[in-house]
Amino acid sequence: MERYLGVDDVSALASGAGLLGSGGGGDVAVGARLLRHALQDGGRARLVAAEDLPPETVVVHVGLAGAPDVVAERPPGGEDFANAVTALAGALRQRVGAIGVIEIGGLNALIPLVAAQVLGLPVVDGDLMGRAFPRISQTTLAAAGHPATPMAVVGPAADSVIIESASVDAADRIMRANVAALGGAAAVALYPCRADTLAALGLPGSVSGCIALGQALADSAGRSVSDLAARLGGELLCEGRVDEIRPRRGDIPGSLTVTDRSAGHILRLDMLDEYLNVAVDGVSRASAPDVLAVLDPVTFAPVPPDRLRSGQSIALLRLPLMPGWPHGAEELIGLAAFGIDSGRPEATR
Amino acid sequence: MTANFTPVSVRELLTETVLACAGVVAGREGLGREVRDLSWYTGELPTTANGHLVVCAAEAVTPSYRLEALVRRAESAGVAALLITAEAQSPLLSTLRLADRLAIPVLSIVGADLVDLLHRLTIRVRAPEVQRARLIEDVVRRLSTKTTAEDILAALSLALSQAVWLLSSDGSTIHGESLSLPSTLRLDLTVPQHSDPSPSGQILVHPVTEPGSTQAAAWLASQTAGSGEHQRIATASALAVAEPYVRAWLTSQRAAAERDSVFHGRLLADLIAGQGVASQDVVERALSAGWRLQDWHVGIHLIRTARLGDPLQDDPVTSMRKLRSALEAQKLVGPVVDRGDGWTVWISSATEPPSSDGRRVLRSVRLVLAQLPAHWEVVAGVGRVHHGPGGLASTLLEARDAATLARTHDYRPAAEHIDELGVARLLAAWQDSEILRAFAETALAPLKGVDGGQLLRTLQVYLEAGGSVSTTGIVLGLHRNTVTARLHRLRERLGVDLDDPNQRLALQLACRTIETEHG
Repeated sequence: MERYLGVDDVSALASGAGLLGSGGGGDVAVGARLLRHALQDGGRARLVAAEDLPPETVVVHVGLAGAPDVVAERPPGGEDFANAVTALAGALRQRVGAIGVIEIGGLNALIPLVAAQVLGLPVVDGDLMGRAFPRISQTTLAAAGHPATPMAVVGPAADSVIIESASVDAADRIMRANVAALGGAAAVALYPCRADTLAALGLPGSVSGCIALGQALADSAGRSVSDLAARLGGELLCEGRVDEIRPRRGDIPGSLTVTDRSAGHILRLDMLDEYLNVAVDGVSRASAPDVLAVLDPVTFAPVPPDRLRSGQSIALLRLPLMPGWPHGAEELIGLAAFGIDSGRPEATR
Repeated sequence: MTANFTPVSVRELLTETVLACAGVVAGREGLGREVRDLSWYTGELPTTANGHLVVCAAEAVTPSYRLEALVRRAESAGVAALLITAEAQSPLLSTLRLADRLAIPVLSIVGADLVDLLHRLTIRVRAPEVQRARLIEDVVRRLSTKTTAEDILAALSLALSQAVWLLSSDGSTIHGESLSLPSTLRLDLTVPQHSDPSPSGQILVHPVTEPGSTQAAAWLASQTAGSGEHQRIATASALAVAEPYVRAWLTSQRAAAERDSVFHGRLLADLIAGQGVASQDVVERALSAGWRLQDWHVGIHLIRTARLGDPLQDDPVTSMRKLRSALEAQKLVGPVVDRGDGWTVWISSATEPPSSDGRRVLRSVRLVLAQLPAHWEVVAGVGRVHHGPGGLASTLLEARDAATLARTHDYRPAAEHIDELGVARLLAAWQDSEILRAFAETALAPLKGVDGGQLLRTLQVYLEAGGSVSTTGIVLGLHRNTVTARLHRLRERLGVDLDDPNQRLALQLACRTIETEHG
């Protein structure tokens, strides 16, 4: 099955990716602008399921790594991603047949389509995370023992680094060091794999699912937040006012105190770069890997942690993780993976 | 004493100098919570944290969300308050709100050495415990020289500043003013118990058990002045400490009683064997036992015919006490010798009693039997009045014969006088005669099956009691008015005059015949 995405689909994809970012994953607006630019003049991106590709097709996953502030200040160009794919293809000495999406939450849900458009390649309808996660090790491929390398890191001046071989955790550290050296943001091409591997281990259909989510969000305009939650297949955890923001300090998570308007519950939201845990009256109610989306209750625009203000009205939704993660992946993507101790009874309950 | 037993509240604790730099950041409504102990929190809340002031190591409540989780757990564990250091990350607003809502005081202290603080506060908080330990020490010191129940109870009462009782195994008072126990206390369970708290205080009971026995031989009881838990615990501990002293007293009492009973039993046997001639040795031993051999004597022989006794109520000392009090109530005061299956009693007087005295004694003995526990099924015999050591032997033998006859009756309790023996034998022969049986069938026919045999039984007892309404009432456990009412019905149904001796005799014979048949 395949479908073509035009410029009209960009905003739905972007808002869906904004929800699935769980507060993290970078600014989808940058990706949306890049994709609109790539699809202008009637360009169409081809979206195919991994199982519909010839099994030996080489799929390379593309994304943007780096600090959101740097990205916002100097948006990358589509060529950067094409360069990263080319550099990795050179290292692989193989022809790349399709582009894969590494995470369906946030900015990186849109970047692969930009790269694919420049390279004239199809994009696989699926991803490796089912939402946004901060580390490249938090993928279904890594959970199955598939390496992230060889990978290519390409800076805005086309400076490129090839990481030939590394464990997935080492690859993450080496990538971060190189991204810093390349100016704080860089295009990455990684997790090269065959289409049949992806068909077996990836999370299928998540790009379409993300667009559907964005569509549902757009269709709910003017309706109530609880109505929205129902349409998104999620749960409205609270609608209320932010009373205190305690920012994160390094790896120590920050927290929000929210007053639930209707029920009068005391609600705490723990966060790092993304929203991780909701505690109602001191007892955990929802936590990673579930997606926690903080929205403006009127416009339904996602509010990332760094845009929160004291006194602000918010709606907090829990969305289920895209299906397909294997059992036993909790350690890789649960609260513990974010350095929040699972020794808390409220987390182990 | 009372004031010091009250546990300190969080509010009171805050006035301690060591907490001068501490402030309440949340949960003010919980400041009245009682602090019973302290614990040091490093990530694990102990299961016994109920009533504890939990001092939190800074690293155990960082990041801040950990404190919030702790507040939640503190509430379910019944923690009195949490103490954190201001050097740690300040609590989240959500944590403060949660603590407010759950009324868990969160105290924050600036620049304190938490270990030192923990140490000092522990001494303060454990003051009631120290006080209890002092009380126990006091009790032990006071009891150390006490050997009698009166002294032990008095010392205990003084130490506790509250009333203390010694109760028998069935709850009747042995020492102390009379005490009615609440029905919630189960004296059949040999465990310390206490009544429900009430403003007038709680009654506590502690079993006194003898070695090798699972039943309580007696109970120590005390009533607290208030309903405070600490007071109850202190009283319970004091009773437990006093229990071995009471047990020792009880055991020595029992040993003495057994020694006496062996001594008296042997002496009595020697006296009776002497057949009117008392040797010098016997006279001396009788003198040391306080027996006045030269007086006039009326012997009473009591036999306990119940096969199975209730072990809880049938120990020899308690039984003897019950018998003595029943005898004293009827002014029958004299030596009592325990013979195992019953008792031998005789009444001595310096002057010769009138010949009607035997009758008076029989009446009194009937009343005594009515007062003894019915399940003993006691029968008694009364001898004639005799003089001197030989006379004592005679009257006791007569009493035994009379008791043996009384034993053949089907009803209990039964008492016979030796003077009636000849008559009784005559009657016994008659009871077998065909004529009498036929008469009994006819005469008592109107009572057959009426009220489940109640009327017949009343008639029997009334006639055996010599026509005494009050004795009949006591034997049957009825009010005398009920007895009178039943007698009235009897007269109506039988159409006889119960005051006519002839009629009475005929009816009594008929009753006995019926008894024999049923037996």
